[in-house]
Amino acid sequence: MIADTAKASTLPPRTSVKKPRRRRRNRGSRTAAVLLLLTSVLMLAPFIWTALSVTKPTDVAFANPPVLSGYTPTLQAFRDLWETTYFAQYLTNTLVVAVMSTVVALVIGIPAAYALSRSPGYVSAILLLLALVFRSLPRFSVVLPMYEISKALGIYDTTFALAAALVAINQPFTIWLLRNFFAEIPKELDEAAMIDGCTRVGMLYRVMIPLMRPGILTAGIFVFLFAFQEYLTALVLTDTSSKTVPVFITTQLGQTLPMLQQAGAAAMLLTLPVIAISFIAQKYLVAGLSEGSVKG
Amino acid sequence: MQFPRHLRAGIAALTIAASVAGVTACGAGSRTGAQNATAVECDYTMPKESTTVNVLAYNSSAIDPFTNTMVKSCTRDKVTLKHDPIDFGGQVTKTTATLAGDTGSYDIIETYGFVVPGFAANGGIVPLDDYVAKYKDKYKLDALSSQMREAMSYNGKLYGLPMQAQMFILAYRKDVFDKLGLKPPTTFAEMIAAAQTIQAQGGIKYPIALPWNATADITTSYQAAMNSYGTDFLDRSGKPQFTSDASRKALEGLKSLLPYMDPQVTTFDQPKVQQQMFNGTAAMAIMFSGRMNDLTIPTNTKLANDFAFAAPPAVAAGAPYLYSRLSVDGWSIPKNTKLDKDMLFQMIASSVSEDASKAAVPAAYPARSGMVGDNSSKYATAANGTIGKTMPTPGNPAAAPVTNAIRPVLVQIITGKVDVEAGMQQMQALAEKAAAGN
Amino acid sequence: MRRREFTLLMAPSLLVMVGLLVVPLVRTIQWSFQKVQYGTPGEFIGLKNYSQALSDPRFGRAVLFTLLLTVVVTVAILVLGYLVATGMNGLGKLRPVVLGAMLVAYVLPNVVGAVSFSWLVDENFGGVVNYVIHALTGADVLWFTETWPNRILLIAHTVWHLLPFSMLMILAGLQGVPAELREAAKIDGATAWTTHRYVIIPTIRGVLGFVCLITIMDVLRTFDSLIPLSPQADAIGNESIMLYVFDVAFRNGSQQLGLGSAINVLSILLILACLFPFIRGLLKEAKAKA
Repeated sequence: MIADTAKASTLPPRTSVKKPRRRRRNRGSRTAAVLLLLTSVLMLAPFIWTALSVTKPTDVAFANPPVLSGYTPTLQAFRDLWETTYFAQYLTNTLVVAVMSTVVALVIGIPAAYALSRSPGYVSAILLLLALVFRSLPRFSVVLPMYEISKALGIYDTTFALAAALVAINQPFTIWLLRNFFAEIPKELDEAAMIDGCTRVGMLYRVMIPLMRPGILTAGIFVFLFAFQEYLTALVLTDTSSKTVPVFITTQLGQTLPMLQQAGAAAMLLTLPVIAISFIAQKYLVAGLSEGSVKG
Repeated sequence: MQFPRHLRAGIAALTIAASVAGVTACGAGSRTGAQNATAVECDYTMPKESTTVNVLAYNSSAIDPFTNTMVKSCTRDKVTLKHDPIDFGGQVTKTTATLAGDTGSYDIIETYGFVVPGFAANGGIVPLDDYVAKYKDKYKLDALSSQMREAMSYNGKLYGLPMQAQMFILAYRKDVFDKLGLKPPTTFAEMIAAAQTIQAQGGIKYPIALPWNATADITTSYQAAMNSYGTDFLDRSGKPQFTSDASRKALEGLKSLLPYMDPQVTTFDQPKVQQQMFNGTAAMAIMFSGRMNDLTIPTNTKLANDFAFAAPPAVAAGAPYLYSRLSVDGWSIPKNTKLDKDMLFQMIASSVSEDASKAAVPAAYPARSGMVGDNSSKYATAANGTIGKTMPTPGNPAAAPVTNAIRPVLVQIITGKVDVEAGMQQMQALAEKAAAGN
Repeated sequence: MRRREFTLLMAPSLLVMVGLLVVPLVRTIQWSFQKVQYGTPGEFIGLKNYSQALSDPRFGRAVLFTLLLTVVVTVAILVLGYLVATGMNGLGKLRPVVLGAMLVAYVLPNVVGAVSFSWLVDENFGGVVNYVIHALTGADVLWFTETWPNRILLIAHTVWHLLPFSMLMILAGLQGVPAELREAAKIDGATAWTTHRYVIIPTIRGVLGFVCLITIMDVLRTFDSLIPLSPQADAIGNESIMLYVFDVAFRNGSQQLGLGSAINVLSILLILACLFPFIRGLLKEAKAKA
């Protein structure tokens, strides 16, 4: 290292900085890469451990001390999950709720975020602040009354009620994120489009949304994930006919060993598609977030 | 900007997966455990329009046979019985929710002696005496044990049709006991002596495991210890008994076991106690009988054949009863159900019929007399021996709120943060307040 | 933009938020002055619920613990999030793999992740971490019954769950730092430390503030992860405010909805107090712009 730098200093300034830096960076980045790989293994540890427990035969699945070899892996828990519970229905409920709430959250969130990004006055500051306060509300303070209200309206225990609740709960985050994306798009563009004869709403849908794809995608992924994993709201607002997977998983805990393994299997099945999405989408997430949200 | 290609592929894949899941949801015929259940006669009058009957019952190997039999036998033509898996805590929460107000989600609910008086007093569940009179011959209801019917009654009326009883059972490692020449203990002192021997020679560090979970079970254990001395939380007139002599002895008895149990025992619910036995980390466990059948199943643990069962000990020699609770489980009908209660009653009656009860052995101890002979299961002798030596405790609507109120203090006493005398005074004060508020 | 357009665009979203958040919130405030159970009309009892909550030492314990958790986790998340994101920013081909792997912790439903997490330290379910610790140090840690080990467990879990989100946000922020800025710092002879301290961090201040804000909000309402990870939370002083509400207003058939609502209202006030610096900052900004 020292030799490198010494040699480099004799070269002309511009390149002298660049070349050795790259080499130094290589070594540094290799250490960083190893550290990061370790971190990600650590972060995955609970997931890996669960995956192992679920694929072991029941009698050694949760043995103490842990059994790590000498058994035949089995998918029995997955088979039981599929055959003896209504898992397919819970998964469908979860997907329906997540998709419904994502679509609605975006449809109503996009215009609102756009409006907020285009009028920098006091009103929008207050509205954004309100959104912030809403985002921070303790769930119980809205969910328990929602339980009563949904019962009174006769929509308790429907995917509709749960999706509506989640749209509202996640709306503040949606607006915040989207507003920051809109703020990045120069205002001149709207004006140009409006001169071409678009109405404000037409312009929003024809010009802004295509431009905003990465932002909308990012917001959509987040809202989808929030809805997909929501536990408390689903616990309170659903019962037999619209139960979601996270709620189902917790009702399987604390019972018999085979049911516990099924709960683990359900957690795996719930997570795998989302992992697939996050592997595919992370690149766009980073790019999308970097364009917009971060200047918040 | 282009819509990224793999993202599009990913979304498409997800959509396909979702719709496949959606389609098969109806076709897969998923139904909790009911395929293997027994079919019995369930002969109600078919309603005119298609009907779903929602059944609320927690899953355990003792409750499941009754639930599954009912679901399988009574689902036909226009009527579908629907039972979703739920844990015990979930059932407690859902029961409260469904009984409140004019409409509820459930049409049949599982109840137990401890909560029946409270729900009955609030008018949440309906008395069943008229139906029993009407159908007693058809479903041979007279054979349901009168002691258990008593346990499901309030003010002389029957509010739950008993399906089974659960009592405390001692499970122990026969191989370890035999090797060390030990016998199943009959008092806490003997249990401690056995534990000391096992610690010294049997290589098990914490030989005793009990469900002392600080947010639920621990009060049941305390009540069982008090019952051993013939006293309950509330006396006949409803007065709390936490400063009684029995209460002090019970607390001291419980605390004397602490050195022989895992230091984290106050986080153990019954499944964790089962784990202790499955994994060989404990050699003795006392739990409700409904959890015992799991211990005898070889796919759960390699030690399944090494377990033996006995009646639980009394807290002290000469105490009138054993360290045990008798909990009767049964079916109740919520007042706010929109369905025909006559039909619902026939469903629950068929689930406790002779054939259904027979099929529930050995996992359960049915409420029908003469179902469990000493050879019915590995723990049948123990169960038959325990049931007569468990203190009968009449229900009281205040029992549940009082129990919830004293629990935090009880935990502090057990963990040594509050001493026994002071704790008893605090519990008494809390209990009086809770009983008055009820 | 004209006011009519603004209203039109804003209306659906605002309607949903008012209808589904404000209305329930009003009900919660109403309940907090009542003795009430589900499905029955309440009875007005004035400030009794508030005095009961405020005089209950359990509430005080819950507030203290929640604040402690929030402070520690927020600091840890900012530091770790920044470090990991910086490393990730310099990563080449491996980045998608590492990033994808890290996001798993975030996409698992919190309560499910907490159960998985508990299996690592619960010997009844294998407890692999305990074996590693025992092999390395000979110590047996009582993760569930001792206050501090349990706190460490809860902090570790919360950081584990929230780190991916903040890392993602910070990484996105780092990508927005113009390369010329770094180059300039290098030429000026800045060390790595001073570059981060005086160039990069000030540039992404906005992102860090955002991450900080979201983390504070999320940790203040910690609840479901405590059910598997701290089975006797209150007894060892590790109960969060939201778990306390759950306990009095929902769990075990408990129906003290009035008391639960009063605690909710009090915790909203607490949250607003915690967010006050951010709120003031935003208002100032708006004033400057207006």
